Amino acid sequence: MNILVLNCGSSSVKYQLFNMDEGIPLAKGDVTRIGMSGAVLSHKPFDRPMTKVSGDILDHIMAIEHVVSILLSPNHGVIKDKSDIHAVGHRVVHGGEMFTSSTLINEEVMMHLRNMIELAPLHNPHNMRGISACQKILGDIPMVAVFDTAFHHTIPDYAYIYGLPYVLYKKYQIRRFGFHGTSHYYVAHRAAEILNRKFEDLNIITCHLGNGASIAAVHKGKSVDTSMGFTPLEGLIMGTRSGDMDPAIILRIMGLEELSLHEARTLLNKHSGLIGISGVSSDMRDLLEAKKEGNNRARLAFDAYCYRIKKYIGSYSFAMAGLDAIVFTGGIGENSKEVRAKVMEDMDWIGAGIDAEKNNSTKAIESDISSSDAKVRTLVIPTNEELVIARETQNIVGKNVQDKEVKTSR
Amino acid sequence: MGQGIARVVAATGTDVILIDRDLSLAHKAYDEISDKLDKEIERWGITESEKKAILARISPAGDYKPAKQAPMVIEAIQEDLEAKKLLLAHLDNICQPGTILVSNTSTLSITELAASTSRPDCVIGLHFLNPVHKVPLVEIVRGLKTSEKTVESIKEFASILNKTPVMVHEYPGYVTTRIIVPFLNEAMHVLMEGIASAEDIDSAMKLGFGFNMGPLSLADMMGLDEVMSWMENLLHELSEHKYNPCPLLRKMVRAGQLGVKTGQGFFKYDAEGNRIKEGE
Repeated sequence: MNILVLNCGSSSVKYQLFNMDEGIPLAKGDVTRIGMSGAVLSHKPFDRPMTKVSGDILDHIMAIEHVVSILLSPNHGVIKDKSDIHAVGHRVVHGGEMFTSSTLINEEVMMHLRNMIELAPLHNPHNMRGISACQKILGDIPMVAVFDTAFHHTIPDYAYIYGLPYVLYKKYQIRRFGFHGTSHYYVAHRAAEILNRKFEDLNIITCHLGNGASIAAVHKGKSVDTSMGFTPLEGLIMGTRSGDMDPAIILRIMGLEELSLHEARTLLNKHSGLIGISGVSSDMRDLLEAKKEGNNRARLAFDAYCYRIKKYIGSYSFAMAGLDAIVFTGGIGENSKEVRAKVMEDMDWIGAGIDAEKNNSTKAIESDISSSDAKVRTLVIPTNEELVIARETQNIVGKNVQDKEVKTSR
Repeated sequence: MGQGIARVVAATGTDVILIDRDLSLAHKAYDEISDKLDKEIERWGITESEKKAILARISPAGDYKPAKQAPMVIEAIQEDLEAKKLLLAHLDNICQPGTILVSNTSTLSITELAASTSRPDCVIGLHFLNPVHKVPLVEIVRGLKTSEKTVESIKEFASILNKTPVMVHEYPGYVTTRIIVPFLNEAMHVLMEGIASAEDIDSAMKLGFGFNMGPLSLADMMGLDEVMSWMENLLHELSEHKYNPCPLLRKMVRAGQLGVKTGQGFFKYDAEGNRIKEGE
């Protein structure tokens, strides 16, 4: 079975085609600058070099048409016919309280997703545009939605409720949902495999440190808390987002600077975090460079970033009453030895600590960087959300086929 | 207004050709958009890269020829019936057959403007309010012959711009101009009659009724010559005494005190357009 995995953003489509029978990715790539001049399709077949095509790609339909045609092309393609794509798995950011696991997409699911756009106005509409585009191009093949929020549906009520009037939760679903669920699930699960222990026996803290960043407490195989909340703004300090703060601050700033709602929103989402504190960059690599040159605000941003992570690790190990492993993933988690070293400083009192040499030599590869005597293991695991989406899709489509067979045989 | 419209359209990812009377004016408008975007960055409204993306989609031009490639042309020249008719007739000649011609008029008749073209079904009014990037409203005005298809495309366009459209029948002043103009005029009468200071008139209306801006600041921002020409158009079309411009307004326009853009209206402004408080 070949499964196409799609992650549709506002002006981009990321894709990966898996051959599930052999368990290998056949090709992957992305389309960027959709709807702008000079859109680019980058395509990398599993066994051949990357190629780039640029041209006018006006919307998601055209983007997915291009993806399908390059997958079929004689030179760069990996399959012969459209019908060699047997199912599509879509990343959908927000499943709300309705979708607690991946689901086969049908009219009813689409209707619920449409009703949920309010919850994730920045992401869900694009995800849905991708689904509609696929239906147009690939016709009647099974498609599955895999939600970023789904893994966190096991968070208990006392951890997802905010200290606000309960009526707001009932009326507007104001509660913690959490994001990056697929990634947290993948790396936590993978950590158990690496440690050769049962997922259900472990307490794991997963740090997904990318452009957006979140941290999750995975207790006995289930997410029991995570740092992102109702929106992806809460929690850790991120590249351009503030993360946790006193909510009165924004009201105060809005008054002082006479900011509109829109300005306040961009202030918190795009001008804060690492770029806001440092004034240098939202990119950790630039920040480390500036810090090395003695830039104090870059140092401050770095320290604040790492401190916030450490603080969460502390609270989550108490929330789970124990800790077996800490996992670093996402662009920064996988690549930045500096961030890992700073976060893991002075943790020996809880039995955690890293081996400097192992840490320094680990970049975007799976590795156990713990010091040899550490009781709590520290792992670096490159995330693979696409693979999870492909597996979920295979499971659900497989199940669905069986259901149909049962029905017809009756 | 043209600048403001170019900016919000470009911000949606659409390519914009910004045409002015000559190329240097078009470039000047482009530079002003850039300055305004810088101010917006200072206020945390947008980011540096968003500014670049917006500017990259705006190409200044000094004549109408490039309009030929556009599926939609929006005119935002001065509020003058003859000038607008001439321009639309000219665009009608240049543009492809299906191209929609949009007028940003606030008081003139779309039917009459459309009559100067050979495609009245493709002519429609879309009235933006200043500052265009902040006001989440547009008035869509259909002329007598505007087709349903044109109306639908413009509604779609408004939603891409993230503006709530209100459909209005063609009638001078539509909703916004018709209601705001007598309000501004009345504030000027109150000032002229010496009932309160300009500052206090604005404070009273702002604090008393929750307006974001007082009527006299609003008039200054719109441009007093603009306000006067709207009033005269309304007076001309509707012949009602209430649209007679306040003598104080006439006097100020004659003296070239046109509001923010000249640095002096009911209040004083610096070159950046910021209010200079008395005694500073």
